[in-house]
Amino acid sequence: MAELEEKVPDAAQPKKEQRPVITRRALCVGLGGTAALLGLGAVRYAGSAPLVRPPGGQDEDALVSACIRCEKCYEVCPRGVIAPAHLEDGILNMRTPVMDFSANWCDWCTEENGGTPLCVASCPTEALKTGSTPETGILGLAELNQDLCLAYRLIGCRFCYDACEYEAMALDENNRPYVLNDACNGCGACESVCASLQNGSISAGATERAIVVRPLEA
Amino acid sequence: MNTKRLRTIIPLAVIGVIAVGFATHVGVGTLSAIGWQDISLLCPLGALMTMIATKTMIPRAVVSVVIAIALILLLARAFCGWICPVPVVSKIRGVFSKKTSNTDMTGTGVLPANENPLVKATVTVKSTDGSAEGAVEAVHEAAPLTAEEERALKGCAGGCSSCAEKRARLDSRHVILGGSLVSAAVFGFPVFCLICPIGLTFATIVLVMRLFAFGDVAWGVILVPALLAAEVVFFRKWCSTFCPISAFMSLLGKANRTFVPTVDDAKCRESAQGASCEVCAAVCPQGINVRHPEAGMSFSECTKCRACVEACPTRAITMPFLPKKAMAPATVVVEDEDTVAAS
Repeated sequence: MAELEEKVPDAAQPKKEQRPVITRRALCVGLGGTAALLGLGAVRYAGSAPLVRPPGGQDEDALVSACIRCEKCYEVCPRGVIAPAHLEDGILNMRTPVMDFSANWCDWCTEENGGTPLCVASCPTEALKTGSTPETGILGLAELNQDLCLAYRLIGCRFCYDACEYEAMALDENNRPYVLNDACNGCGACESVCASLQNGSISAGATERAIVVRPLEA
Repeated sequence: MNTKRLRTIIPLAVIGVIAVGFATHVGVGTLSAIGWQDISLLCPLGALMTMIATKTMIPRAVVSVVIAIALILLLARAFCGWICPVPVVSKIRGVFSKKTSNTDMTGTGVLPANENPLVKATVTVKSTDGSAEGAVEAVHEAAPLTAEEERALKGCAGGCSSCAEKRARLDSRHVILGGSLVSAAVFGFPVFCLICPIGLTFATIVLVMRLFAFGDVAWGVILVPALLAAEVVFFRKWCSTFCPISAFMSLLGKANRTFVPTVDDAKCRESAQGASCEVCAAVCPQGINVRHPEAGMSFSECTKCRACVEACPTRAITMPFLPKKAMAPATVVVEDEDTVAAS
């Protein structure tokens, strides 16, 4: 061994550029990091509930594959209805775009951009695919919970019926609204105006509004 | 204003512009896809991962990668030194420990400037300049390279173990860059984006803004900054050891020939006065030795931070747009009779 060690400098002298490809330590650290990434990737199979996505993002697999969490879609949305998904929606979905109809609803930017959704136009990775329109795209399906709905307490509320622009709601013989599933595109107008939660005495214990847009695959 | 302060102010200004843009819905995006409305320059790593994950060519991603490659060829790792918010975020480490590296976390780091004897020596020279000429001369004369030092330098160039680690062609970052692309292919989504500290920086800002603007309370408001803090606090050398974006830039940076720090031999203390100096090597956050490139990291790691330019006691270092002809003999193909005959 002693001989070898002494010879090393001499052997190295003639080769000026004797650069190792990678040191063992760096390789180990790198492989450790790679293993961590591969472990993290397994969240793909942890299972995640489908969510109500912006226009063009209805193919959950395609959206999760292409989305780099750049946050551009929620910035450009003129109505502020696109929000980052929460940790509660799964690690995989975290920071991907979901619809938040608490204050406004989606008209595929008909008013603001002539029917071309700004979120789709600005998505740099095509996670939100082009071609979705109010007529062809379906973000989700409005679901009315009769236990929470004020109209079903015969209060006469019909905010959601009045808000619907796509003729997807009707009134029954008691003037209580219900959803026409075939016509609903999940725009969220009904959810955004629902007043059930503001009436604490009636909807005690409720955590969401009486009419809520649910993802289609749920 | 010195560039060190500027290199803190610019990333903060970038964060500020992006935060204001988010609040006003103008559509500037984040650094993951910076641009205007539907024009975005994608993060090159994100673009590659998303194309691998979806197994499709995405036009905007391809264009972004091409533009990013052009910028890296022109500026090497300047993004790391001037724009990336992570080195600025990493300053929170100061809260936990009082030790400071000489500039930031982008590089391998050497001795803090104020503890470095080489830097101290020059500072002394500078401060005594004019007032005590005798002392200056003493410093100048006392420091020619001894035969032993020269031998030590040569020995190092031959490849001792400590230099070998620095000078290996690839390091752990490059393995992780490969791992990022492989994990995107295996699991079909950009895995690294989940933990990217640049993305987490902007996610933190967005989540905090949403918390105050809409009362959007979620675990993410705590978890995202906690993950970001863990990455910069516990992985102290994130940029030079883990960051796959830095790896991507350092790989392409090998072809960078512009704005490379160049020593003017007529001014350099070492070549002009025969004194030992090494200040440029001591201040470089990337561990590049501008005077003796073979002894430090490769120039492909250069973040164009100008620390060496500013620290040089004789102002011998410049960063010209193109290398002077004399400085780049390797790129000139000489075809005189001798070489033709020899070949």
